[in-house]
Amino acid sequence: MTARHGSSGRSEAEAAGGRREGVERRISPVLGESLRNIQAEVGYSPDIKIREVRLGSSPGIKAAAVHLSGLTDTQALNEFVMGSLLQNTDLLTDDPAVHLPDLLLGRALEIGEASIMDEWHDILIAILGGDTAIFLDGYTDVILCATRGGEWRSVSEPTSQLVVRGPKDGFVESIATNISLVRRRIHSPKLRMETMKIGSETRTPVVMMYMKGYASDDLVGEVRKRLEKVAIDEVLESGFIEELIQDKTITPFPTIYNTERPDVVVGNLLEGRVAVIVDGTPFVLLLPAVFTQFFQSAEDYSQRFDIAILMRIVRYLSFVVLILGPSVYIALTTYHYEMIPTTLLINLLSQRENVPFPAFVEAMLMEVAFEFLREAGVRMPRVIGQTVSVVGALILGSAVVEAGIITPIMVIVVALTGIASFAIPAYNMAIAGRLIRFAFLLLAGMFGFYGITLGLIVMVAHMNSLRSFGIPYLSPFVPLSVRGQKDTILRLPMWLMNTGKSPQQMRAELPKSMQVTTGHEATLSPAIQKNEELQQKRREEDSDEQE
Amino acid sequence: MGSVRIGLSQFFSITLLFELGTALVVNLGVLSGKDAWISILLGGLAGILVFLGYAYLYWKHPDLTFAGYTTKILGKAVGIPVSIAYIILYLNLAARDMRDGSTMLAMATMHHTPLFILSTLMILSAAYVLHKGIEVLTRTSLVFLLIVLLIGVFSTIMLMLSGSINLNRLLPVMETGIQPVIESVVRQNYMFPFGEMVCFTMLMPYLSNVRKGPWVIMGAMATAALLLSFTMALNIAVLGADIAQRSPLPLMPAISKISISDFIQRVDIFVVMVLIIGVFFKMSVFFAAALIGISEVFKLPYRKMLYPAALLILLISMLDARSFIEHLNEGGKLLYTIYPFYMLAVPGVLILITAVKGHFSERRPG
Repeated sequence: MTARHGSSGRSEAEAAGGRREGVERRISPVLGESLRNIQAEVGYSPDIKIREVRLGSSPGIKAAAVHLSGLTDTQALNEFVMGSLLQNTDLLTDDPAVHLPDLLLGRALEIGEASIMDEWHDILIAILGGDTAIFLDGYTDVILCATRGGEWRSVSEPTSQLVVRGPKDGFVESIATNISLVRRRIHSPKLRMETMKIGSETRTPVVMMYMKGYASDDLVGEVRKRLEKVAIDEVLESGFIEELIQDKTITPFPTIYNTERPDVVVGNLLEGRVAVIVDGTPFVLLLPAVFTQFFQSAEDYSQRFDIAILMRIVRYLSFVVLILGPSVYIALTTYHYEMIPTTLLINLLSQRENVPFPAFVEAMLMEVAFEFLREAGVRMPRVIGQTVSVVGALILGSAVVEAGIITPIMVIVVALTGIASFAIPAYNMAIAGRLIRFAFLLLAGMFGFYGITLGLIVMVAHMNSLRSFGIPYLSPFVPLSVRGQKDTILRLPMWLMNTGKSPQQMRAELPKSMQVTTGHEATLSPAIQKNEELQQKRREEDSDEQE
Repeated sequence: MGSVRIGLSQFFSITLLFELGTALVVNLGVLSGKDAWISILLGGLAGILVFLGYAYLYWKHPDLTFAGYTTKILGKAVGIPVSIAYIILYLNLAARDMRDGSTMLAMATMHHTPLFILSTLMILSAAYVLHKGIEVLTRTSLVFLLIVLLIGVFSTIMLMLSGSINLNRLLPVMETGIQPVIESVVRQNYMFPFGEMVCFTMLMPYLSNVRKGPWVIMGAMATAALLLSFTMALNIAVLGADIAQRSPLPLMPAISKISISDFIQRVDIFVVMVLIIGVFFKMSVFFAAALIGISEVFKLPYRKMLYPAALLILLISMLDARSFIEHLNEGGKLLYTIYPFYMLAVPGVLILITAVKGHFSERRPG
């Protein structure tokens, strides 16, 4: 947790506490008072469980274990906390020189991880995170036992990035499980992690993971800096973080990669990237990410290299079809029909005879209908899935043609585009393509190939202006690096890819423009700056209120 | 000159695209009939020699643009008006190129779209790209150079497979002696497109490598000369000198000869794409040169004058001539009246002064 977050969170909590009457925000030596304070602070929530016990022979010392039901590992709590607390009664003495919490921590508690704390706010956050706090009458020191646990989804096959051959485990919502899935694959002390809590209300644990010596220090420092700058109330998914730490927000192209697959994370860590794992989501962020990365799949490395190259070419091709397919069709049929072979042209014209709309309107109608179908397919309950596919196939497939609204060839073009969008391994890149496709549709409808060509120039220029943590988005194509081509569209066989050089050497050989540059304060996403201002304002308001 | 540095491969690609630009599709060296390809090669050679002069100035002042060292060498009173004259030249060249491009486009495919709309779309795209910076322009050129070259290779192979190439149409070489070739070089080819390289004097301070940079640019010029010469030879070999000479865009009818089993035919849309890409990059380079000049002479931020300059180029290109014929005549006249002054005389004077100054300042300590 960064110091700033701690303080900002506290000031808000104080402000909230100030409004309620009679709540003291400190640990009292009187046990009952402490417990009342805790309950008042959380608004007498029913899931706060307090177990009051007496330690030692009668009368004994009053003690209480406080935990949040549902978030704690019940077995650990029962066996290693409560069990050891109540069984080891012979240890207790009435000697006032003995500091009871230290004694319990050192001799009695069997739980693997425990510590002593006396800071009200930290204890409260720990309890809310699932730890068990043991309060002792007469002491302001509190023992915190790590009993975080509770119910999580178990590790299962990833649903968004599938492979035919390759590991089948995927990340889950629990950050501890996710870290272990990565750890299990890298038995190296070089794997480093830094943890912080982001979100002034949710206090979501976020872990930054990298390989020391592989990821450049500049990059790690930059990621750390940007993560620390994130000031936001809630972090419910890694997308929240992604949007706030990326270089620039106004672009349809993703500049940070996300994955559900531990093997992908491991591979990227070893390539010198940094992973950001957010609690509560199976999607792990990988950065920096360049354009080519969104067309790679974990399977490329499990299959033979020639087959992998073929698969990659197919993916790039599908991206081209996705963004240009309908617009090229419109441009050809509206402006440049001389390019179409004569027999096909006659065929096309006879189809178009019965259709009242120009090709552009036709394409727009079909594309929008297809987007409806897709969105419905994603959001609707699984049970009625069959209905939508049947209705969609019938309506969009044959009925529109029979009704004379759309030409059959347009159905083919739109269907092809739809299929192409599914062939791109990264979902967020496919969405970007879907969005850009509409811009090209418009350009083609108005200007034919002229519009498409200028649109392409502007699109490539836009991509060239993008950077992901200082790395040009289109590298290693632009700026051109021959050595970088080993794993882009091509995937050379392993024995050619491994140059036998350590990553440091390889990085030293990279051209200047390929290296991570720091000093992105100016290009930091405006959202961060805005957020910071907002946070600052809120803090000021809080202090005003207290006065 | 700021911290932006542009790599050599990017400079190579922007130079090559700039040179190919409109020259690839128009009938270059048409005055020398079927020996056009020779006059293009000679023109390229002359252009490279002229560029050596610009390179000399650059090597003497690696951190300054043309406007910068003109002011330094000639003093503020003369240097600033000269720089402004160059800015006007670049704006004019950008506008002329855009007029060329949009008119040719209207002739080739977009028969019903108004010129103004075509030009507006073009200038807006250029403004967007330049808004992102000159580095982005050069990087983008790398991608589109690849596309242009691919189209070139594809078209050449297809022409060969269609059996439309008849090399005999190029013979006899220099039927009427060397005189028409020389005349063509003097009248046109050393200036268009090679003399237009003068605008690179505004961009060269961005070069990442002072020593090698100009040589890379000259390499790109030589490549451009070879490619242009090859294309013109191809046009003549396919169409014959007569048709190639009369057609304003000989590459179009040449490419439309491609026909492979009635499936691949009329691929002249590729020529249109090459035309659009070429015009775009050529115009953008002039646009960028003008912008750099404006920001340097008037001490204005680069982006501030972007849209006013874009509007200016758009208006100049529209008001430049009443018809395309007038526009072409005007261009032909400018080519041997005004342009030599800009591209040879002023740099020549600067080189002379620099050399003489250097000579004397070297001697003093010795």
